[in-house]
Amino acid sequence: MKLILRFLKPHWKLCALTIILLIVDVAGALFIPTLVAEILNSGTSGATFDAIVQTGFQMAVVSVLAGLCAILGGYACAVLSAQVGKDMREAIYAKSLKLSVYDFRQFGTASITTRTISDITTIQFALTSTLQMVIPVPIICVLALALTFGLDAQLGLILLVVVAAVLLLAWGIMRKASPLFRRLQKLLDRMSTVLLENITGVRVVRAFNNEEREIGRMTTAFADYAGTSIKANRLFANLDGLSFFCINFFVVVVYWLSGGHISAGGLQVGDITAVIEYAMMVLFFLMMAQMVILTLPRALECCERVRLVLDHTPEIEDLVLRDVSFRFQDAEEDTLGHLDFVCRRGQTTAIIGGTGSGKSTVASLILRFHDVTDGSITLNGTDIRDMTQQYLRDHLGYVQQKAWLFSGTIADNLRYSRPKASADELMHAADVAQAGDFIRSLPDGFHAYVAQGGTNFSGGQKQRLSIARALVKKPELYIFDDSFSALDFKTDAALRKALAKESGDAAVLIIAQRVSSIRHANQIVVLHEGRMAGIGTHEELMATCKVYQEIYESQTKEAKEA
Amino acid sequence: MSPKKVIAGIEREVPQDTRSTVTRLFGYLHGQRIRLTVVAVSIVIYVALSIWNPMYSAIVINHLWQSVQEAWQTGTPFSVTATMGRELIQLTVQYLFTWLFYYFQSWLMANVAENLVLELRSQIARKLNRLPLRFFDRNKAGEILSRVTSDLDKIAEVLQTGLLKLIVAIGTIIGSLIVMFYYSVPLTCLFLVFMAVSMVVTNLVARKNLRCAAERQETIAVLTGVVEEYYNGRDVIKAYNHEAESIQMVSQAAEANRLANQKADFLTNCVNPLIRLLTRLAQVVIAVISGKAMLDGTMSVGVVQAFFQYVNQTAEPLTEASYMINSLQAALASAERTFQMLDEEERPDPDSPALLERAKGSIAFEHVSFGYDPDRLLMRDISFTAQPGQKIAVVGSTGAGKTTLINLLMRFYEVNGGRITVDGVNTADMTRSGLRHNFGMVLQDTWLFGGTVAENIAYGRPDATREEIIAAAKAAKVDYFIRTMPKGYDTVLDNEAANLSAGQRQLLTIARVFLCDPPILILDEATSSVDTRTEVEIGKAMKRLMQGRTSFVIAHRLSTIRDADMILFMEQGNIIEQGDHKTLLAKGGAYAALYYSQFE
Repeated sequence: MKLILRFLKPHWKLCALTIILLIVDVAGALFIPTLVAEILNSGTSGATFDAIVQTGFQMAVVSVLAGLCAILGGYACAVLSAQVGKDMREAIYAKSLKLSVYDFRQFGTASITTRTISDITTIQFALTSTLQMVIPVPIICVLALALTFGLDAQLGLILLVVVAAVLLLAWGIMRKASPLFRRLQKLLDRMSTVLLENITGVRVVRAFNNEEREIGRMTTAFADYAGTSIKANRLFANLDGLSFFCINFFVVVVYWLSGGHISAGGLQVGDITAVIEYAMMVLFFLMMAQMVILTLPRALECCERVRLVLDHTPEIEDLVLRDVSFRFQDAEEDTLGHLDFVCRRGQTTAIIGGTGSGKSTVASLILRFHDVTDGSITLNGTDIRDMTQQYLRDHLGYVQQKAWLFSGTIADNLRYSRPKASADELMHAADVAQAGDFIRSLPDGFHAYVAQGGTNFSGGQKQRLSIARALVKKPELYIFDDSFSALDFKTDAALRKALAKESGDAAVLIIAQRVSSIRHANQIVVLHEGRMAGIGTHEELMATCKVYQEIYESQTKEAKEA
Repeated sequence: MSPKKVIAGIEREVPQDTRSTVTRLFGYLHGQRIRLTVVAVSIVIYVALSIWNPMYSAIVINHLWQSVQEAWQTGTPFSVTATMGRELIQLTVQYLFTWLFYYFQSWLMANVAENLVLELRSQIARKLNRLPLRFFDRNKAGEILSRVTSDLDKIAEVLQTGLLKLIVAIGTIIGSLIVMFYYSVPLTCLFLVFMAVSMVVTNLVARKNLRCAAERQETIAVLTGVVEEYYNGRDVIKAYNHEAESIQMVSQAAEANRLANQKADFLTNCVNPLIRLLTRLAQVVIAVISGKAMLDGTMSVGVVQAFFQYVNQTAEPLTEASYMINSLQAALASAERTFQMLDEEERPDPDSPALLERAKGSIAFEHVSFGYDPDRLLMRDISFTAQPGQKIAVVGSTGAGKTTLINLLMRFYEVNGGRITVDGVNTADMTRSGLRHNFGMVLQDTWLFGGTVAENIAYGRPDATREEIIAAAKAAKVDYFIRTMPKGYDTVLDNEAANLSAGQRQLLTIARVFLCDPPILILDEATSSVDTRTEVEIGKAMKRLMQGRTSFVIAHRLSTIRDADMILFMEQGNIIEQGDHKTLLAKGGAYAALYYSQFE
């Protein structure tokens, strides 16, 4: 509902115009019987033929005016619903591009296509019907009652009671019918599902000789659907018949009372026709509205499905290591034991530990160079073993300790993971990686030649280039495996600062030996002999973790000595 | 009456053979004859009453007007009970009966249509499970689906409301026109002229509308094509920074659809106002003329108002008759399509079938030839023999005919020449179920149905106990995984089992076969969509499954092929080489060439 309003809002003028035009149409429809009554009255009261012609002329004018308004209103309505449909479709498509691969996969291509196409078609249809059949109802009720009261207060009062009775009846039946219709929709889906299962699985069904069982399953689905349909149909038989009877009863009452009123001079004989006509009109519109209202739950469901896409905010997608252990084949001891931590989006997680602590093995597990022996690693909620390696690695940006460059130009190397990256993007990535300055100082800049393995660059330059390469890729998870070791402290610091801005809502995992590289990380995991010796921020670990304190002290001492 | 509904049914779908379709459709109503008779009687009474009611109201009003005038003249106060009590009671009773008979017929018809459609659907369910596989290969799933669901719903709706409405409308129109002619010939003629104009106009609009609807359908198809393609290629679009271009393309298609929508909707929206406008103009003329007639004293006030009631009663059904007939025709076309499906040819089982309780597992192809189109044979004169317990690897590129081989083994298709035997018995002499009973099948294209994990494993043996199911799952090494699911074995696999990976699905289907314990197996090794670790799991599970059974493996992995007792190397539907790995390598033919190019 809110969704519809949201999309109607930009077109509120058109919307208002549509409603106004439809109101004029409805008013015209009620005015015609009034004029017919006047002619009847003239005919019985011996007025002149001229007077009758004059009223007839008025009638013609009203008819044409109401007809024009109805046609224009129909046009405005068509424009409006077509426009809303288009806006919605564009919005869904634009939003779909913003969804992460994971979120998009959660919806699924087929489902998003349905939401873009048929769901919105249903919404459009519902919008048109509501505007044309539901919105006029209260107006016609009020107008009809007002006109009747104008003719005769007592009849007006009775009409009010009859309309209320029909409304009550309609409400009661709707209450019974709408769960029935929801169920019907579900049973229809069920019918399609079972049928599709039978069609696509025909080989399996026959291989297992399960034909009879499938016939049973289908027939049950069909019978449920038929049974519910019959119930719904009967409800409507009730509604139609009873509403008609209410109105007919009203007609009898009108005949009953009007004699006295006419003889008393308050009412004229032609007015009887007018009053009956008003009642009929109200009934007609009420019943139409009812049909439309019954289809609305389905349209609202479609709205909800569309809204879910439009309002989808990506969940915080994390890399989760749950009780991960790893043992190399034929080894006697676990290389890693019971690792348990989470790398959150937009945060930096660091793993620190001495040589042989197993910290690089963590990276190789995440990249699935090896699979965990026990426990699980999940990315965005999916076990990485259930992803194709391609998919997994598409989402990771991995920077190795030993940077490897391919022969070719610098630009070739940076574009390695994303060939379409623009020159600006390359420049930006290089700057973040603190490689921009030295690249620009080269005679050929980004077109400078790189020898195989990058041997014509220094270790630090290679490392920065390989970091830039990962940045160009814009992955969801960065893994820096001891990638800062060859950098001097100043470059290291500048790079980390620039990186923090660049990585945005991606998760960053830094594996390092130097405390200085990681002390500002959101969380630090301390590894010692393949076990977690501590987890927390630098300050927390300094206060509680002995292994961390030792690493810190040995390194600050080194720094002082150096 | 709901004009929307009727207008939504504008479709120029015409049945090819109306008479036989109608006859056959009515044949289905045979069992509901009494009910239908009651419906028919109710309709007749209802129609008669709805024609009689306005006439009687004319009498009532005239009487009322007279009594009032008399009261005025005599100066006595007007009393309803004294002057028209009887008439009003009669009118009330008339209305009561109108309602009763309306209620009767629609209440009874609620069953008739749905029962008929249910009967048709049940027949289709039976038919679908007997049709040869050829039918499924030839017809798209979506088409069959829409035949069973929306096509038949259309029939139900037309029978339920459309047909009744049409009959009632025809009855009402004829009856009303007779009364109207009785009241005033010139006025009725005038009215008919307006209605003729109205029908011409609506017909014009309807024709235009049909074109617009087709146009709308086209633009929506284009739009669907565009978004589907873009959603599928989303990663590529993003990788190549084509977001803006793709948005523009979608926007273009959406705009084309918007224009078509606008046009089609407008035409739909303006049909009713047009009809109403013409009817009202007719009313204006009739009102003025009858006003004159009242002044001249040739028409009474009761008759005039009754005449207006008839105008209202007749105008709408008259202009909508063409729509109703259209939707009736569309429904008949749907029925015809359904009947076509029910008439599809079946291949019955032999009358006195050969029995094979549990085969030992020797299989022989003897000079088998086959083609999906019998005029264009794919397989020619194929012969080979598999001994019980042997492992046969079927090797060949895509389209080499590996699936065809399985289709013939399982008798999804019948051979065109030669014969296939199991334990020396010609499979064509057995019932299909008797034959398939001996086979277990694990395909790459795994099929799970909406039910629990346990139900899916027990698919081949619904009577299996929970212990047996768990044992089968353990044998397929999925027991642990199943236990990690939220409700274990009672987890419901919904939505095409989207919560399982391809590998897990395949393991479940392996468990299924373990439970059936058939002597002969058909396996399709996993290829791409499964990650390496699961692939190893599946390989192991399949190996366990094959122990002691004759197995046909569509093989992709070298180890499987090398271990096979026999390799069938297929190309273009035929087996061009057979023998074990060593023999074939020594032969230096096509298999050897493939082996050296791919596996080494």
